[in-house]
Amino acid sequence: MGLKSERAILAQDIVKTFKKKGRRKYGIGPKITRDEYIHAVNGVDLAVHEGELFGLLGPNGAGKTTLVKCLSTLLLPNSGNVSINGHDIVEDPIAARECLGITTGGERTLYWKLSGRDNLKYFAALYGLSSEEADKRIDYLMKIMGLEERQHERIEKYSTGMRQKVSISRALIHDPPVLLLDEPTLGLDPSFSRFIRSFIKKDLNQKQGKTIVLTTHYMDEADQLCDRIAIMNEGKIVAVDTPEALKRKIPQDEVLEVKCLGHADFSGIGQRVYADSAEGVTIYRIHAENVEDIMSEVIQASHSARILSMNVSKPTLEDVFIHLTGARLTGEDDGQ
Amino acid sequence: MDLLLSTDRIVRYLRAMNAENMKEWKIELTYRVDFVRGMLEPLIFVFPYVLFAMALVGGRTSSVLEGLTGVSDGVTYTIIGYIFMGFLNTAVWGMGFALRKEQWYGTLESIFVAPVPRWVYVLGMALHSTVHQGIILFFQIAVVYVLFGVILHVQGVLPVLVFIGLMLFSLVGLGLMVSGLALIFKEGWIVSEVLYSLITIVTPIAYPLAVLPPLLQKISLTMPTTYAITGIRHFLIDETMGVGLWDSYSRLILIGVCWIVSGLLMFQVVDKKVRREGTLAEY
Repeated sequence: MGLKSERAILAQDIVKTFKKKGRRKYGIGPKITRDEYIHAVNGVDLAVHEGELFGLLGPNGAGKTTLVKCLSTLLLPNSGNVSINGHDIVEDPIAARECLGITTGGERTLYWKLSGRDNLKYFAALYGLSSEEADKRIDYLMKIMGLEERQHERIEKYSTGMRQKVSISRALIHDPPVLLLDEPTLGLDPSFSRFIRSFIKKDLNQKQGKTIVLTTHYMDEADQLCDRIAIMNEGKIVAVDTPEALKRKIPQDEVLEVKCLGHADFSGIGQRVYADSAEGVTIYRIHAENVEDIMSEVIQASHSARILSMNVSKPTLEDVFIHLTGARLTGEDDGQ
Repeated sequence: MDLLLSTDRIVRYLRAMNAENMKEWKIELTYRVDFVRGMLEPLIFVFPYVLFAMALVGGRTSSVLEGLTGVSDGVTYTIIGYIFMGFLNTAVWGMGFALRKEQWYGTLESIFVAPVPRWVYVLGMALHSTVHQGIILFFQIAVVYVLFGVILHVQGVLPVLVFIGLMLFSLVGLGLMVSGLALIFKEGWIVSEVLYSLITIVTPIAYPLAVLPPLLQKISLTMPTTYAITGIRHFLIDETMGVGLWDSYSRLILIGVCWIVSGLLMFQVVDKKVRREGTLAEY
């Protein structure tokens, strides 16, 4: 897609540090451990163009949500500057928030005792919509989200997916030019996830031209949806580029995925091997320039395990993440 | 903080306050038993005090009380004081816990990303609590009329409304302070409890100021509730006012301005602190 040159979001050298207080003996005595400082966001620069669908990809604890909270004025950065559509978030937070629609993570970000419609009506008033404007907008959002039938039921009776639809509707209630979507498909079943992803990409981004920052730890989601992706790890952005360009950063062209019952010793085969075990089944990802060249070695080395399947694929964003950080996007690093 | 607001923003903030008020009504009315409890509870609390006082004095009138306040009927004196002090509840528990309640719901971050200043939510809650307390007040007056034969001067209603309005003006400042403190101290109810108890002690609800130790009498003169309760009782049951009417009004305005400014400043400091420390959504 053709990106406009204006920057909808500009963040420069953002630092957000949290203090973890040291423990005291019996809760009131002298400190027995020192205060710790956790650098949740550590010198992040970010420029998101108008109309761009930008992904923040990283494992849990990478600093994605903290960064989104800084962008949305929920947190004050220790240092650095952020502007949303040209409005500085510290100097003029109200104007910055007028341009923003946000979905934050968590099940209880709506009023469970109110209906879906009443929730949206309340938030519409907070965003300055008159009663008539709110009714029109809510009718529209309920229709495209497929919630018309149940709009008068209390949120407590909705499924997780329906609540997420109301959360996204809330972010869209004032038709903002910029959206911050924090893990919008987390915990949703596949059909709801598909709907939300398609809505974000086709309706919000392509049809309505909204600038979207999407945080996720699902690599497929980032790969499918985003024009550009920033990979975050330990509070820093380690790479920013299009999904294809990021994948080209992997020096090997192919990945052989071997699914085994038990453990095999593939160390020394190919350029790099990563393993992930669950319930006795281990999935090895062996990076090589040409998979055919290593097949016999793989078969020989797998005598101690039973091979369930083998699959040749291209590097994914997960492989990019492993390549850049040495860690996995989800779970512990099992790299051999 | 936006001290100079455009008309457009003022309209938006008023709309947001009303939305906050309506939302609270809708949520409150889903808990019907609790709503009824809220209406009855203040009356249940006041009965032991009234009955205890009657047992001590040997009836409902006291010549000592009449000498100190100009009102001999201790029951009416106490009940009126107690009923109108309900507005202190609105400040300390209603407004003060406006944001804490959002933390419990899990919705605080959702509302804080909306383009309205944080204090607007507290004022919206003040609107809700005041209407709520107003309804309870009418209900209570009807009940005490039936049970205790308490008769009030209807012609005193207008100046009484002015006293209530000015007291609320100050109490909004108090509500902002408590609201901020409740965001820092997660056990914010302790702050509310202590403040409520202290203000109640130095306010002439069930006893005149004269019975307080000299230091507490001086502190009492800095409380808006002192002037408001005395003024309200003056117009409803002829209590003698220690200071003149306009003097009472001016002192209430002065105290109100001081409390509002302190409340806003404290609220802003706390808001920055919790956003710096990232403790906004913690509860």
